[in-house]
Formats: sequence, structure tokens, C-alpha cells
Amino acid sequence: MASSLERTLDLLILKTLHGGAHHGFGITVPIQSVSEGLVRVEEGSLYPALDRLERAKLVKAKWQTTPNGRRARVYSFTAAGRKRLGAAEESWTALARGVGKVLRFAS
Amino acid sequence: MNWLRRLIHHRADEIHEEIECHLEMRAAMNAEMGMPPAEARSRARRAFGNAALIEEDVRRIHALPWLGSVAQDIGYALRCFGRSPGFTLAAVLTMALGIGAATAVFSVVDRILFRALPYPDAGRLVSVGMLAPAADTNEFLPVEAYLMFRRRQTPFVRMASFAFTSGCDLTETNPVRLRCTQVDADYLTTFGIRPIVGRNFTPGEDVPGGPKVALMTYGLWMSRFAGDRGIIGRTLAVDGQPITVIGVLPRDFELFNLSPTDLLVPAVLLPNQSGRVVRAFGRLKPGVTAGQARAALAPLFEESRRAMWAPFRSGASLVVRPLRDRQVWTVRATSWTLAIAVALVLLLACANVANLLLARAAGRRREMAVRQALGASRARLARQTLTESLLLALGGALAGCSLAWALLRFFIAIAPDGITRLDQASLDARVLAFAAAISMAAGLFFGLAPALQAETNVRAAGLVRHGLITAQIAGSMVLLTGAGLLLRTLWSLERVPLGMDTERVVAAHFVLSRGYTPARSTAFFDQLEPRLNRMPGAAAAAISDSLPPYGGIMATPYSLLNVEGRPRLPEGAGGMAGYRTITPGYFAVLGIPILRGRGFRQQDRAPGAAAIVLGEALAKRLFPHEDPIGKRMFQSPDGAWHTVVGVAADVRNNGLTAPQSLEYYLAANHSLGNAAYVLVRSPLDPQAVAKMLRTQIAGLDASLPVDVQTLRERVGKLTETPRFSAFLLSGFAGAGLILAAIGIYGVIAFQVNQRAREIGVRTALGATPSDVAKLFLWDVGRWTGAGLVLGLAASLAAQRLIATLLVVARGNGRWTFVAAAAILSGVALAASYIPSRRAARIDPARTLRTE
Repeated sequence: MASSLERTLDLLILKTLHGGAHHGFGITVPIQSVSEGLVRVEEGSLYPALDRLERAKLVKAKWQTTPNGRRARVYSFTAAGRKRLGAAEESWTALARGVGKVLRFAS
Repeated sequence: MNWLRRLIHHRADEIHEEIECHLEMRAAMNAEMGMPPAEARSRARRAFGNAALIEEDVRRIHALPWLGSVAQDIGYALRCFGRSPGFTLAAVLTMALGIGAATAVFSVVDRILFRALPYPDAGRLVSVGMLAPAADTNEFLPVEAYLMFRRRQTPFVRMASFAFTSGCDLTETNPVRLRCTQVDADYLTTFGIRPIVGRNFTPGEDVPGGPKVALMTYGLWMSRFAGDRGIIGRTLAVDGQPITVIGVLPRDFELFNLSPTDLLVPAVLLPNQSGRVVRAFGRLKPGVTAGQARAALAPLFEESRRAMWAPFRSGASLVVRPLRDRQVWTVRATSWTLAIAVALVLLLACANVANLLLARAAGRRREMAVRQALGASRARLARQTLTESLLLALGGALAGCSLAWALLRFFIAIAPDGITRLDQASLDARVLAFAAAISMAAGLFFGLAPALQAETNVRAAGLVRHGLITAQIAGSMVLLTGAGLLLRTLWSLERVPLGMDTERVVAAHFVLSRGYTPARSTAFFDQLEPRLNRMPGAAAAAISDSLPPYGGIMATPYSLLNVEGRPRLPEGAGGMAGYRTITPGYFAVLGIPILRGRGFRQQDRAPGAAAIVLGEALAKRLFPHEDPIGKRMFQSPDGAWHTVVGVAADVRNNGLTAPQSLEYYLAANHSLGNAAYVLVRSPLDPQAVAKMLRTQIAGLDASLPVDVQTLRERVGKLTETPRFSAFLLSGFAGAGLILAAIGIYGVIAFQVNQRAREIGVRTALGATPSDVAKLFLWDVGRWTGAGLVLGLAASLAAQRLIATLLVVARGNGRWTFVAAAAILSGVALAASYIPSRRAARIDPARTLRTE
């Protein structure tokens, strides 16, 4: 069973790819900016996560040449990845809403 | 290994490039933000974290975990082997010997014992018939009985029969002698064979006056008609008769008795053909066994027996047996014996390698302990030793297959004719799969001991080692006694008195073609005789219709040999008596002594002369207390008597093992029908005589195929099969003996090394060298003794099997067992002597100092 940190990271990656295909570095930047530094991960830990997603066939990768002429491995969604993201967002929203209610009730 | 590397490392190399790419991008971004290049780079690294660790994580996931560690195990094992080439070579060669011999023998016996016959659902095909020992060694059915069986049987889907295969002439341009086989119209359907071109016989084709049709074998179709499909419907002239070709048989078609044939023609079977017999077959209904079929046919058999010719009636029994048994009965026992012998050799080889590995494992205990201390699990270490064993087995298998290939060539080269299906044996996928399977099994077998022993105590390991020695001695004992018994039997067989002098006699055999009319064949024999007598260097010459010591003797019921003035014997009493039709020179050529009276003279051949010469056994039986010479006996149907003119010494007629049979001789008048043996005794070189004989016969008929051999060769053929088995078994016994010797040597040498310190102490305390040597010899003696006792028990069981190989395994072979035990003890002592002596010479000062 993947740890909650791993799951969170997976979700973030999938969400980032929702905006379009990216190479590894290209995924790091939005995650850091979007989460406004709330989720701080070492940039390196992204790669085992990507590898995990790739083996689970949630993302697919292809070597491409970037506009500035560099060879980079570009990741994009698979159909399964899209479905997983939808499900994860839903359960996350449900959880967040549930937690929110509990917190309000408690206060 | 490159592909393996690529498989494991492909993704891992990618991750490396990807990380580099990431770092460069981040560095470039940092640089854009105004950092100096060096700082931009180091910051990028810091933000990334431990790149090497991440790379390693991904790499480990992708290098399939088991594959990776298996590759590691293999690599490690190969390095270990490289460090001890002597051990590796010994182990691989030992395994190669075991696996090679086993594979070669399997490739031969597989065809005989296991592989499916080339008929669909062949397990349901049975041979049906009566076995009358006086008539034939195989079951047959009189035509009348067959037709009755076929009409009224219940256990079979269908029955079929084979009448005979005989020479026939294709009398077209380019005439050629073919083999025509007569079968009934149901033969192919019963066996489940379909013609590849054209059609099968139809029921209307095996009746009298039916259309003349034939099916052609694939071989003839290809060789003579170049596979032309237009052959169907064509008319061939066979023996001057027009026959229409209706079909071509499949390529793998074979007759039930594996004899070669060219044409199948329908046999016309009628109930009134008394004296004619067929080989009958049935396809069992599903779920019916051969035993049940036999029971179901028993009433029919009883009924047909009543109508049978009296001499057959008494001994005849009903036989229903699987087709395979019918085919390979004579070589079955040989096959099993060889298979068991070779399995023993393989076990001996395994035991040897197991011992080698055990010894090595003991030497590596320290290494294993270190590896365990460094975190290797016990399972992992066991797997490592098992990997090594399997690698050794694999090496042995590769070398063994090459050895098997060579051995198989060798078997085929030295094997006598008539070993069923030997010519088909080859190292095909099935045999190689067998080799792979036994190698794996062997690897697991001899690898298991050291793998499990890695942890257990020294005493248990010693017990296993000694147990293996005991097993080796026992196995060798079985092989040695088996070979010994066979050799003894062979020896006695080759000394069976034949009753004739086979030296310097050349025999030629021929069968006149069907084109010979009776007049023409009489003319042929009339001209042949003077030609033989005029042959330069021929001391004596003769013609006869058959030859001792085996095959093809004519026979009459003993009850027909009535003596003048005595009441006729009851019909069927006394079995059969064989007879030969011979020319006067026969006794001289074969050196058969005339005990009383005389042999034949020319005047005995005149029509109406009717002289008879009795064999000694027959003479004693017919005239126990009187002189047979001049007696009149054996009345022909027309009332004429034969006069006894002489008594000849007995000659072996039924091979070397069957009991001696009764025999008499008749003088040949001038034709011997269409087949005969020509015999010439000459002091000249047999090759030259053979050549002259051929020339003489060719002078009469240049197209007549003649089979020439010396009588010695002919007699030698009788012992070829036992010689072959004895030779192979001796080879295996020799191999087993060598393996056992190596095994004992190895174990003792190892023990001497292990106990060097103990020996040093003993010597220091006053043990003499001979005390030390005795210590080891006593050890070997005990375990060898146990092996001998076990081996003796197993050998006694094996002796029964050997006894089925050859009818005579005379006596109980006590001396064979004693000799085998003596040889093994000798070998065991010799093998342990060298290391024991080394032990005795151990210098206590030096051994104690090394500690």
C-alpha cells in the first residue's frame, strides 16, 4: 500500500499533466508554484513517482526534443490516468468536505 | 549476456539521462536568475536531492528482482568454477558420461518402449491369433478361423488380416523386383491409415474375381513414378498381370512387422483355403482391454480349435496382445535391461558429483559463514549452491548430448540387424527434452545434499557421503553381475556344439523369380549342380532347401512317420519333425558324421528311389532297440515306403537355446522349387569362393540376386544380439566401476585432508603409519561391505530380468557374484589406498604447526 505522501505526490503529478504533456522538470515547477510551497518535496523524489505511475500505466512517456534543442522525456496522461485523477479528485473533495464538517462541528 | 544486460539496464540508463536533463534545466533556470554557473549547478543538485540514490531506487525496481539475483548467483557460481577448474572439469565430465549414456540409450529404447506407433489411437490395436509352439513364434490364425472370428467377434470395432509379403516382378520396360503384400480390404481402415492420394480398398475388392487393384507405398511412388498424381487409375503389369493403382500410402506407413513393402494388394480369403494362415489384428472398442477381448474370443477359439490340424491342437493357445508387444517383444527385455543399466550409471554419476559437491561445501563452510554474517539468508545460500549444481548439470547436459550423439552412431554401427526400430533412433526434440529433464533432475538431486547440508552438522554430512559410497558400490555390483551373467551366457552360447563343421564353408541363397516355370527351374538346378562340382578349389558342394542352425526348416507331424509293420501313431502325437531336402554332397560339405549306414548317393535321387536318412535323435526315438538301416517307414499317400539308408549325427536346428529337435533328410530330385541354398566347402579364401559362386550362378541367370555368406557368419548372427547386449552392459559396468573408484578416492582423499590434524595428533601419540592407513581402509571396508550386501540383493532381483534376455543363463551364476564382489572390493581398496598412504605419511610436526 502506497503511503499517503506517495499518493499525494501521484495526485499532484496527474493534476499537473491534466494541463498538458510535460517533461520531468516541467512538472516540478508547477507543483511548487501551485501548492505555493505548501508541499515541499525534493525535486528528485518526483522521478520514482513518475516511474511508479508509468509502470501502473497511468502516464506514458516519450523521448522528445524540447524547443531549445534538448532531448527530454515527456510525460502525458493515459486514459487510465485520466480516470484515476477524476476518482482521486472526487474522493479527495469528499474527504476534505468531510474533514471540514468535522472540524466545524468540533469548533 | 548482452541482451540480459539491456533488459535490466534499459530503463535505468534512461533515468540517468533524465536526471541529468533535469539538473541541467534547473541549472539553466538558476543561471537565468543571475547565479554564476558553478553555483547554479550546485544549487540544482541540492534542490534535487540524492540523485544517485534515486537512480538506484528506480534501477532496482526495473532490474527484475529475481532475475537480477539469479544473474548474480550465476555470475558468482561461474567465478567459483573458474577458480577450481579441476573440480569443475571432473564434475562436468562425470555428468556428461551419465547424461550422454542415458540419452543415447533413451533415444534407442524410446522408439521401442514408449513412443506412439504411427497409427491413430494405436493403443487400441491388438494382434489376435493362436500361438502354436510347433508352428511359429508369433500368433496366427488359419483363414477359416479368421473369417469366423471376423464374422462373430464382439470386442473389436473391426478386424483385419495380413496374409504375406513376397517378391513380385514389375514386368514393364525396366523390370524390377518388388515386394507385394497381401492384406484384406479392411487392413488400412483398422489401422487408421488413409491413402494420401487416391482411395482405400473397397469391400468388393478382396473377393474372388474382384478387380485387380493395388495401393502403392510412398517410396515406390517417389522413386519409380516421381510422385506423379496421374498414377491413380494407371495399370501396371505385375507378374504379367494387369493391376490398377488406386492409391498411394502415406510416407510414414509401415507394416505391423516393420518389413519393407512396395505394393499392397487385396488378399482373397475363402473358408475352404485349409492350411493357409494369416496374421490377424483388431481395433478394440473404446474401453475394452486386450484381456477382455481375449475372454470374449475364447469360445470362438475353442470352436475353431476343434477343426484344427491335430498336431497344432494340443499346444495351441489364444493370444490377444497389444500391437507394440507383437512388434518389439524380442527386444523389450534388452531395452529394459539397457535402460535400467544406464539409469544406474546416471545415478552413480550423480552420487559422484554429489560427493564432490559435499566435499567442496565442507571446504567452503568458512566462506558461507562469512556470507551469512554479511546478511545472506539461509534460503539465499541454499539457492546459491543449487544454482551451482544446476549449472554443473547444464554443462554436463551439453557435453552429454554431444557424447550421446557419438554413442548413438556407435550403437547403430555395432548393433546386429533386426533390433527393431534402431535405424529410426535419433537425437530429436523429444530425446533432447528427455536429456534436459534428467539433467535438471540430476542437478536437483546432487545439489540438494550440499544445499541442505550447508547448516547441518559434520556427522550427518559424513553419513551422507558414506551412504553415497555404499549406493555406488551397490549400483556397480548390479551392473557388474549383470554384465558378468551376460558374458557367461554368451561364452556358453558360443560353445554350443553345432553338430557340424562351419569352417571354410560358404553358403549362397537365392530365390528364383516368379517367371520360372517348373520346367525352367528344373533345368536351372540341373545345370547348377555340375557347375558347382566343376568349381576349382571346391572340395565338396551341395544344394539344400534349408540350412542349420536356424530358420526355414520344413516339418511334418511326427505321427506321419509310421514304420512298416507297426500300427499308425494316433494323429497329432509326438509333435513335429523337421526335414531337409538335400543333394548327396550335403553331409560332406557340413562335416556331419554319418553314424550308421551311408549318406545319399546319386541313385537315391531317381524318381521312386525314396531313400531317407534319419537324424540321430529321431532314429533313437523311432527305433530304440533295433538297427534302423533297411527299415521301411514314412508311407506316402500313394502307398510307397521310404527306406532308411543311414543315420546322421544331430545338428542344431532351432538356434542355440531351443531344445534339440527331431530331423530327417530326403534326397533332392532335380528341382528344389524356387528357393535354395548352395553350399561349398573349399580350402580357398572365402571371399574368392564367394566370388566364384556368384559367377557360377550369374552364368545361369545374370539377373538373379544372390545372398552369399560364410557359414561362420551365419552362425555368428545367432549370438550377435546377446553379444551386443553383453558389450553394452560391460561398457556400462566399466563406466560404473570407474565412477565408483573415483567416488571412493574422492571421499577418502577429502577425509584425509579434513582429518590431517587428527592424524597428526595420532602419529605424535605413537600411531604407526599402518595404524593410520588401517583407520581409513577400515572405514572404506565397512561401507563397501554394506554396498556389496545391498548390491547382492539387488543383483539377485536383476538376474531375473537378465534371464529373460537370454533363455540360457545356466547355473545360478554364483561365481559371477563372487567375482563381481571381488572386483569391487579390489577397486575400493585400490581407490582408497593412495589417499590412505598419504595419510600415513603425514608429518605430525608440520600439520600441528599449520594450526
